[in-house]
Amino acid sequence: MTGSRNWKLQWICAALGLVGYAAQAAGDSQDVLISRGKAAFTHRCAMCHREGQTGTFILARRLGKEKSLLEQRPDLQPAYVRQVVRAGLVNMPRLSRVEMPDTDLDAVIAYLVSPKGSP
Amino acid sequence: MKLILPPGVSAARFAEALTAFAGVVGKQWVLATDEDRDTYIDAYAPGEEASHAPSAAVAPADVAQIQGILKVANQFNIPLWPISRGKNFGYGGASPRLPGTVILDLGRMDRIIEVNEAQGYCIVEPGVGFFDMYDHLQKNKIALQLGTPGNGWGSVMGNALERGFSPAGDHSNNICGLEIVLANGEIVRTGMGAMGNGKAWPLFKHGFGPSWDQMIVQSNFAIVTKMCLWMKPEDEAAITIDIKLDKPGELEWFTQAATPLRLKGVLDGLVRLTSYQSSATVPTLRSEWYTGPGSIPDDVIEKMKTRLNVGWWNGTVRLAGYSEVCEANLKIVQAQFAKFTRQEFPVKRTPGSLRAGPSTYPLQMTNWYGGRGGHIGFSPAMPADARLVQQQFERTRRRYQEFGLDYSGTFYNDGRSVTNVNLILYGRDDPDMKRRVRQLFMALVADAKQLGYGEYRTHLSYMDDVAASFDFNNHALRTLNERVKDALDPNGVLAPGRNGIWPVAYRDRRGKL
Repeated sequence: MTGSRNWKLQWICAALGLVGYAAQAAGDSQDVLISRGKAAFTHRCAMCHREGQTGTFILARRLGKEKSLLEQRPDLQPAYVRQVVRAGLVNMPRLSRVEMPDTDLDAVIAYLVSPKGSP
Repeated sequence: MKLILPPGVSAARFAEALTAFAGVVGKQWVLATDEDRDTYIDAYAPGEEASHAPSAAVAPADVAQIQGILKVANQFNIPLWPISRGKNFGYGGASPRLPGTVILDLGRMDRIIEVNEAQGYCIVEPGVGFFDMYDHLQKNKIALQLGTPGNGWGSVMGNALERGFSPAGDHSNNICGLEIVLANGEIVRTGMGAMGNGKAWPLFKHGFGPSWDQMIVQSNFAIVTKMCLWMKPEDEAAITIDIKLDKPGELEWFTQAATPLRLKGVLDGLVRLTSYQSSATVPTLRSEWYTGPGSIPDDVIEKMKTRLNVGWWNGTVRLAGYSEVCEANLKIVQAQFAKFTRQEFPVKRTPGSLRAGPSTYPLQMTNWYGGRGGHIGFSPAMPADARLVQQQFERTRRRYQEFGLDYSGTFYNDGRSVTNVNLILYGRDDPDMKRRVRQLFMALVADAKQLGYGEYRTHLSYMDDVAASFDFNNHALRTLNERVKDALDPNGVLAPGRNGIWPVAYRDRRGKL
């Protein structure tokens, strides 16, 4: 949904000849989305998926330490993250749309798949 | 999960009910796809997932929407299963007892309404988790502490309503006033909150007349929308004594030594002693130790103890409060232990409270067998009698061995009673193991019943079995509970079957999975 809004904003700006502004606006929106994703990750995921927590530990056991911290993974794909959150994986429970609303999930995905070093 | 309709409700009627729910909460908060249903299935189900499959979930934002949902539920005869955050792992998670029940997900109601440092309490809504409360205390520099269970992912309120506990004790003992919504939509406040302008609602437990707080705990008489909960002020100092006992038979002397210390209030919180295995289940896999049939044998246990540097029994004795009092109590504890052993136990002094943030770290134990795992607990309450405790351990361990499962037991001593939490781990993709888990569990229920020990809490699939063991005067308490249930909830829309309490509309479902 947010992606769709970005596209519309870019299109309108482009139509008005505001190419530079469109790029800036899209960048800002993406930054905001990623920033919101980081906050949502902290609130909804970090209890298991940061250093020293259970998800990190089990991922290290299964995939190796280099792939155990989700926020440092360069290989996560949106569809895969969505699938794991909603369907669970091994011993990770599934998260409902109350626990993780779709809008938060969109933001978390944007954060996790963003180039590393993003805010 | 494909749709399983509520009993006696047609597909068309169910669809009408969902539309009516959407009229109350908005379409986006009626969750009824196959994927939605899956997200409410018990993540660690010890049996068939379909045994406790919900038909949908509906998520209100406030009390008025709960009232609207109840109106629809009564009109269409839709059973509802209220959950706070649905993290009741080991006991059924977010799943309902009766297949086809609609989950009433209260997770959106997540306000910390008040935290009062001076008087030591908080008032919370169902969706407030332990992490939320911890962050709130840290951010606002509030000098209060809250007992946190092993799985800190869950709801502060939901845990107390289940009689969850931590070393701090039984969390339901800290409840001091509730706001509840009855099945007919009526809002009631308990205790001093029953006064329109009651100033002592979170301060004085009982109000005037019968006390309803504990009637609501582990029941299905009402939906709780606000809870007042006492919190302990920060301590000036804490002392911990690390207990490591080498032999399984040492549980007896330790229980004998610790019981009077807890009874007389020398020790802070429950005295916990847990078997070697809990030190292994989190950081290691079973296959690292043993791949043969049956329970892990004694020679392997000795290897585990050596490599993990743990005893057969391990625990922590805690002293907390004013520094001088802790030091004085430490001398009392050490003198008491010296009557039973020459072993000296390491003492650690900590300025301030023994404050550890909530964690999900222990959930790793579900990985013990590798692959998709799960856990349930069999946890009878029994007298704090050293000989009986030792016998309880030996008998229970023999049962684990009989069914070829790994023993993992913890004894929580509260001075008068001991709660014996027996953890049963299993692989969810091993049908033979799941069958043996059920056999073990039923054997433990029967043993405990014969001895007069009853479980304090259990998984959905065993609620009827455990409730049946409370059988004085031909199950008079169950009859009383169900008389109250029928009076308060004549259509049986609230959590049918919870803790073995069945409304008349579904009473024929007792014992059926």
